[in-house]
Amino acid sequence: MTAPEITTTLNAAVSISGVEFAYGNRPVLKGIDLEIPRGVAFGVLGANGAGKTTLVRLLIGRLKASAGSALIFGEEPGPALADSVGYMPQLNALYEALTVRENLDFFARMLSLANKDLRANAVARAMNVVGLSDRADSVMSELSGGMRQRVSLGAALVHEPELLLLDEPTVGLDPELRATFWQHFKDMTEAGTTILISSHTMDDAAHCDTLGFMRDGVFIATGTPDELRQSTGKPDSTLEDAFLHLSRASA
Amino acid sequence: MMSVDRKLAITARIAKEIRRDHRSLALIIGAPIIVMSLIGFSFQDQKPVLNQAAPALIATMAMFFVFVLTGISFLRERSQGTLERLLSTAVSRSDLLVGYLAGFLLFALIQSIIILMYTLFVVDVEYSGKIWDIILILLMVTITSVSMGIFVSTFAKNEFQVVQFIPLLLAPQIFLSGVILPTSQLPGYFQGISRVLPLTYANRALRDIMLRGASLSDVSLEIGVLALFAVVMLTAASITVRKT
Repeated sequence: MTAPEITTTLNAAVSISGVEFAYGNRPVLKGIDLEIPRGVAFGVLGANGAGKTTLVRLLIGRLKASAGSALIFGEEPGPALADSVGYMPQLNALYEALTVRENLDFFARMLSLANKDLRANAVARAMNVVGLSDRADSVMSELSGGMRQRVSLGAALVHEPELLLLDEPTVGLDPELRATFWQHFKDMTEAGTTILISSHTMDDAAHCDTLGFMRDGVFIATGTPDELRQSTGKPDSTLEDAFLHLSRASA
Repeated sequence: MMSVDRKLAITARIAKEIRRDHRSLALIIGAPIIVMSLIGFSFQDQKPVLNQAAPALIATMAMFFVFVLTGISFLRERSQGTLERLLSTAVSRSDLLVGYLAGFLLFALIQSIIILMYTLFVVDVEYSGKIWDIILILLMVTITSVSMGIFVSTFAKNEFQVVQFIPLLLAPQIFLSGVILPTSQLPGYFQGISRVLPLTYANRALRDIMLRGASLSDVSLEIGVLALFAVVMLTAASITVRKT
């Protein structure tokens, strides 16, 4: 019985079992179970305060679960996995006085890309992916909000990680830029990268391969967008209808 | 090798950020000069008093400005989320501490040396002893103060709160380390407190060097205690440096 489970865990990009976490006396994650296979875009959908960011912080190793286990490629999250994981936080979290190139170069160095030539290539590739090659030498303070988001994404993928953890990456983006971001994500999953994306908008949800609806620290449902739409039992249901339906059912 | 590269990258980044912030750079250089000018020239008719007070003033100003510079810079790193992002990379506790220490130390030392040179050669305070010995003591004050700034920024959520630590941490040192009154003239219980303040030892060492021409071996006890403070504050900073 145990062997197949271990195999599943090792093959999964993310494997979470019975994870609980509390900030002081306030429980935020109340028993999360999740298995994300490699090469898919998994969306964690939920309202503000549902526990999405806490889950992402747990997966980058910044928080420790009080119960259960969270594994990435079969290992505990932490610095040892940093080279395989890319993280885009909710805040842009970039250095305002540095240029686009300097920011990406700095984070590439933090991600163990010590060789100057290899790093220059990686930075150039990342700028190309996020469409900012022509703004390489612009300092952050000269960029628009959308461009900063793109630099932030570039910093998360500069080392070509196998798993991308993106915390609300499309917040504040205009529809055109949002579509561009999703095109990047699609290209990446097709190339084998696994993406976990937290969001509270159903626009994002529709682009994901699989989704987990989160409410009050638990997943109330997981499945493909189509499966979740069908859960309402009504034809022509939207993902928003499905979320509201499942949310009310779980209350 | 990679770890060395990460430390260098952090140091270089801090240097680049401060260098490009022209207003902050002007204040780093200008603010101590203005303060030392005010103190120096208000005492110009009482040169002996100024000569006596100068060693303690130099150490106090160095500690004050360096603490503010480091505390606020590191807090910004925490509040803007860049520290959280850094901590998701392969960066280690020692990469962070050494990188930040070297980066801030560079500017903090420039600031300390400006304070010293301006006091000695423009305010024209009389001194004996070797200038490198004075710089060594200031270096130790600076390391302690940089570490204290990193450590204290853990307990502040914004710049306003960092500033509130100034009266809490620096004012007692100014009153109790012999800057205003010799520690021997303080009430007994305050003398006990003054013995656990780094500024007390910095003042004592600088006074011995600058006023009595003492050598480093003459102030080895003070240097030893200052080194201990630096190690304690560095340890405290290293424990809390990963907290966001």
